[in-house]
Amino acid sequence: MIRKTIKIVNKLGMHARPATMIVKAATKYRSDFKIVKSDMEINGRSIMGVMTLAAEFGSELELVADGVDEEFLIKEITKMFEDKFGED
Amino acid sequence: MKKLSVKELYELKKKDLSLSLITHPNTMQGDITTSFLNRPGLALTGYFERFDYNRIQILGETEISFLQSLDEETLYNNIKETLVYDIPAIIITKGLSVPKQIEFLANEMKIPIFTSRLSTDKLFNSLRIFLQTVFAETKTIHGTLIDVFGVGILLTGKSGIGKSECALELVERGQRLITDDVVKITSKDDILVGSSTNNYGHFMEVRGIGLIDVAKMFGIQAVRIKKRIDVQIELMPWKDNMDYERIGLSNNFVDVLGNKIPIIYLPISPGKNIAVIIEVVAMNHISKLFGYDAAREYTTKLQEELKRKAMIREKKNKEKKQ
Repeated sequence: MIRKTIKIVNKLGMHARPATMIVKAATKYRSDFKIVKSDMEINGRSIMGVMTLAAEFGSELELVADGVDEEFLIKEITKMFEDKFGED
Repeated sequence: MKKLSVKELYELKKKDLSLSLITHPNTMQGDITTSFLNRPGLALTGYFERFDYNRIQILGETEISFLQSLDEETLYNNIKETLVYDIPAIIITKGLSVPKQIEFLANEMKIPIFTSRLSTDKLFNSLRIFLQTVFAETKTIHGTLIDVFGVGILLTGKSGIGKSECALELVERGQRLITDDVVKITSKDDILVGSSTNNYGHFMEVRGIGLIDVAKMFGIQAVRIKKRIDVQIELMPWKDNMDYERIGLSNNFVDVLGNKIPIIYLPISPGKNIAVIIEVVAMNHISKLFGYDAAREYTTKLQEELKRKAMIREKKNKEKKQ
C-alpha cells in the first residue's frame, strides 16, 4: 500500500474536469484507490466521490493506493496534480 | 478526539438554551471533550472522589439552595476547592441567581458560568442531544443509501457494478433516494444514520449519461435527507463457486462504527432484476420485525412432516413384525 499526501496547486481546485481526469486515470489500473481529505475517505474511481471532497485550492489530500500496480497509479495521479490538470 | 470549544457552544446554543454568561468573557477558554454532563452535588460538599470535572457542570435548584444554606466561610472554601479542577463550564438552571463569592472565584479561576432560564430537566435533555450530535462518530463510505418501504438499505459494491442504476430503478418504482456514491454515516445511540456529505441536492452519476438531479427528475417524493440504515446489501459479480445464502436461516452481520447491521451478499448476473430483489430484502426484513421468518417457518414445517412420516414408518414396521 502506498500513501501519498498531495496539495492542490491549480487555482480552481478540484472541479468537475480534474475530477473526471482522476477517475478516468484510476479506472485504468487494478489497484484499489482511495482519496482522503480530513475525516472523509472516498473511492477514487467514483466521480461523485471525488467531487464530494470539494477540495479547494491549497488544500491537502492523501492518495491511498493498494494493489499490484499501485506505484504506477500514484505516479500518474501525482503527475496530474503537479501539472495543475493542464490549467493556468 | 473531537472537541468543542466553550465559545462555540455559547455561540451555537445561546438562543436554544437561553444561556447568558455571567462571568467575564475571557473565562471562556476551555474545550468540551465529552457529551456527558454532571451535577456536582457531592463535590460541593467537599467530596471529590470520582468527580467528573471534565464534563459541563449543571447546578439546579438543589445545588443552589444547598450552597445558600452554607455559612460564608464554608461556601468560599468548598467552591474554591471545586473550581481548582479544570471544569469546562458551569451552567445554572432556572435563571437562579448565584452567590457573589462563586462569581468572584470563577472569574479568578477562569471558569465560565452561564445561567439558563430552562428547567434543569429541559436543559439536560437538549444539551445532551446537542452534544451527542457533536461527539457522534462519523465516517464516509462508498455506497448508495435508499429508503425501500421504510427500510434503510445501504448498497455497496465495487465501482461500476451498478449501484446507481439499481437505485434509479428503485426510485422509479416509488422508493426514495437519500444519497448516491458517498454516504456519511453517523452513529448515535446505537443507531446508524446515513446522509449526504453535502447539501447540493440529490445528484447522481449514471455512466454514459453523466450527472442527473433525481429530485428534479422524479419529484420531491423520490428523495429523503437522512435515514436510519437497517440492512447492507453488497452487490458482487456472480461467481460459480461462491457459497451464497440459500435458505436464509443464518444471518451475516457487519460492524459499522461499532454497530452490527445485517449484510446480504447479492450476486449479480445478466437478466436478474436487482431492484425487485432489493424490495424483497426490505419486505423480508419488515416481516422478520413483525416476527415472521419465512425460512424458519418453512423449515419447521419440513421438520414436522419428517417427524410425522418417521412415526408412521415406525408404526408400520411394528405391525409387520406382529
